[in-house]
Amino acid sequence: MTRYWHDIQPGERFETGQLTISKRDILEFAAAFDPQPYHLDSDAAATSIFGGLCASGWQVAALMMRLLTDALSAQAVPVVGLNSVPAMRWKMPVFADDTLSAQIIVTGREVVSRLKGAGSLDLDVVIFNQHRKPVIELSTRLMVAMDEPAHAD
Amino acid sequence: MQIKPYIRNRWFEDIPLGEFHVFGSHTFSELEIVEFGRSYHPEVYHTDPQAALDTPYRGLVASGWQLTAMWMKLMVDYMENFARGVQDGRRNGAGMGLQDLEWFLPVRPGHTITFTYEVIDKPDRVVRERWGIIKSRNEAFNQYNEKVMSFTIDILAERNPESVK
Repeated sequence: MTRYWHDIQPGERFETGQLTISKRDILEFAAAFDPQPYHLDSDAAATSIFGGLCASGWQVAALMMRLLTDALSAQAVPVVGLNSVPAMRWKMPVFADDTLSAQIIVTGREVVSRLKGAGSLDLDVVIFNQHRKPVIELSTRLMVAMDEPAHAD
Repeated sequence: MQIKPYIRNRWFEDIPLGEFHVFGSHTFSELEIVEFGRSYHPEVYHTDPQAALDTPYRGLVASGWQLTAMWMKLMVDYMENFARGVQDGRRNGAGMGLQDLEWFLPVRPGHTITFTYEVIDKPDRVVRERWGIIKSRNEAFNQYNEKVMSFTIDILAERNPESVK
């Protein structure tokens, strides 16, 4: 059953599935979007601030979105977009073969959002690696459909 | 004669407050929007041009995270162009975090997005005895000069060892 904006209250938590990132995933994303030595070249990365080949921070953010999208979709939450990310911090590098999962907590809600027929939910999201260490933390404002069809202006 | 690297070779101390760059533009194709959406943001308005017609966007739109990724690509290319083959990257630090990332308008296939960057703060902080923080305001505009995205980001830049004694 669809869980509309009205059905979700502050305090609710969502656990996500897991994603494992391969060296190939890291290299492909880096070649397309972030071609810097520490994302493309193991030797250069070894002497960098990260200490080894690691994923672009933007790839980690994109993987966060994948975890969040899959988790909310599995709960039949009709997400119609993101308004904003008030703050995001990269805490630790993500290396090849790391396994990521996320914890999502609803911290607030507002009736209005950029899209008519959608309300917004404030979320705190933490992505953990397999050692349960946070790799990114962010707050975001998500738009979720109300129980009638959402439509743009 | 070797061409002298420009931006890559500058220390934190050499980067002026208020420095402004236009990193460049990118035109988003339907295929690249769909490919990114399938990998990272599988909502029908990012993956399926037909099904997207029945969503609030009334058509396919790029994931906001594809815009931030493209910002990164154009920044790296732009800085590389100044560096002219300097590959060590040692003075290019990591991103620490960002603030106030907002998406204002949808980006659709065929839209051309231009990315701008301005240094707005250099906080008086030394990170791990070696790095300074450059805070920049970044904006993205479509071909109608409407703002589609903005954020500020903190990126490390290596400090002149003379200044960190």
